[in-house]
Amino acid sequence: MNFSYRIIYVFWRNMVSYKRFILTTFLASLIQPLFYLITFGIGMGAYIGYFGGKPYLYFLVPGVLITSVMMTASFECMYGTFVKMIHEKLYDSLIATPVSAEDAVAGDIAWGAFRGLVSGGLMMIVAIFMGILPVSPVSVLLLVLLMIIVGILFGSLAMIVTSFAPNFDFFNYYSELVITPMLFFSGVFFPLDKFPDWMKTLSQFMPLTHAVAISRAIFLGEYSRGLIFNFLVILILETLAFFIGVRRMKKRLIK
Amino acid sequence: MITAQKLCKKYGKFKAVDRITFEINQGECFGFLGPNGAGKTSTVRMIHCVSPLSGGSLTVDGMAAGVDNRSIKKMTGVIPQEITLDNDLTVRENLEVFAHFFDIPGAEARKRIASLLKFVELEKWRDSKIDQLSTGMKRRLLVARSLLNQPKIIIADEPTTGLDPQARHLIWQRLRQLKNQGVTLILTTQYMEEAQQLCDRIVIMHRGRILKAGVPARLIEEEIGREVAEIRAAPDQDEKLLALLGPLARGHERVGDTLYFYCADGRPLMKKVLELDLPDTVHRPASLEDVFLKLTGRSLIE
Repeated sequence: MNFSYRIIYVFWRNMVSYKRFILTTFLASLIQPLFYLITFGIGMGAYIGYFGGKPYLYFLVPGVLITSVMMTASFECMYGTFVKMIHEKLYDSLIATPVSAEDAVAGDIAWGAFRGLVSGGLMMIVAIFMGILPVSPVSVLLLVLLMIIVGILFGSLAMIVTSFAPNFDFFNYYSELVITPMLFFSGVFFPLDKFPDWMKTLSQFMPLTHAVAISRAIFLGEYSRGLIFNFLVILILETLAFFIGVRRMKKRLIK
Repeated sequence: MITAQKLCKKYGKFKAVDRITFEINQGECFGFLGPNGAGKTSTVRMIHCVSPLSGGSLTVDGMAAGVDNRSIKKMTGVIPQEITLDNDLTVRENLEVFAHFFDIPGAEARKRIASLLKFVELEKWRDSKIDQLSTGMKRRLLVARSLLNQPKIIIADEPTTGLDPQARHLIWQRLRQLKNQGVTLILTTQYMEEAQQLCDRIVIMHRGRILKAGVPARLIEEEIGREVAEIRAAPDQDEKLLALLGPLARGHERVGDTLYFYCADGRPLMKKVLELDLPDTVHRPASLEDVFLKLTGRSLIE
């Protein structure tokens, strides 16, 4: 693995290109999570009322935050990277410079994570305007950190998918078979404890479950020992996904 | 400057480059010629270290390709075959981002970008988006981009494909200018005129191997002669024509509807042609294209 500080240059290239799309991406990354907040949070929340002593929105917001990081980072490292690799041949010219393939891929994962952070951050601001606040300023900081970590995780996982993708349609498998189920089985909208055991076990294999658990704990300031396990799962998976993603992409870029 | 020994490139079982050996001297323009799929691009991709070797050895300025990749890439400029510009960025931003990749500090980068845009005559388009440029302008921008790091070696992989004559000549002029500044130029092309215009030495590649190497003018002389007579005539006349004209030529070839005669001096043969009154005849100087077609065959390569 041949990494260098040039990862920053790749990140910066994306930033230069991004400034033209900022507004549209802001809107796009806000709309879906806002839907969830309004339909589930306000619509359904009215029936549910209080949830563990607090309004339902306090349960929902930390989950939706992380979901939006997952979505944005994943899509950036699938569609965004694919376009740069296949349609624009950008990687071809990148790797002819002192930037290595590893730098280029890591730079794009970092970029995906950043885009995820922006989406999640926007969500948090919206939630704060709705009066749903994290328990303390420290929580806000920790949530930002968590969003970066989760962004790198899902960016790396998406990179593995991209390294196999022959065309755009291929990404549908990942989003329909992996992302969407995670959305409903990871405790974003309701707690998992009423699920049958096998479903609970299944949900433990979903990285989003662990991310949401940590996010909710930070948001509400309710920490428990179990979080160490959640955090370890995320870190181990993240490290694996990152190195496999970079390696696979390098194989695809350098023939 | 560049030495390759028994260089190989395999993709699975397919041998794209098959044990070729060559040497490129500092300051010369070296051309790789060959039909599609001959292995030209695979070879130059190994030189600028974006493709690992499958066998043999390759050194660039004393450094081993595959080991000192970053150092080799630092001193190499690449004009790629495909247009790999960043469509999301403007002309200037394209160059700025690239200058970053080479660690060129901001002030120096701005200076180089200004002078390079002048060099390729794109100053007016500085703030245009890439999709507003014509193919010729895009290619010129690729030339400018390849020069940002002030390379000692420039690799031009079919740099004028799809260009109109004006744009093509401008690129040739710029490449010659760079060569005069002492840059080593490596060119791949399937345009023989381009090779004749630019190259000091060439190799002709076919199916991963080098068929011939040498100085273009001497190769023409050795393989073909000075002049070529093309006679369009039905094959049933071959016997008659060969008996009459064959002794006056160094060699001949029949392709489709045409009989080619290769001559050191075409005058005696042409005199005969006039006597025979063969109206459909072209008499012209021999070119690299004749060498190329003779060596790689005149039929389609697929």
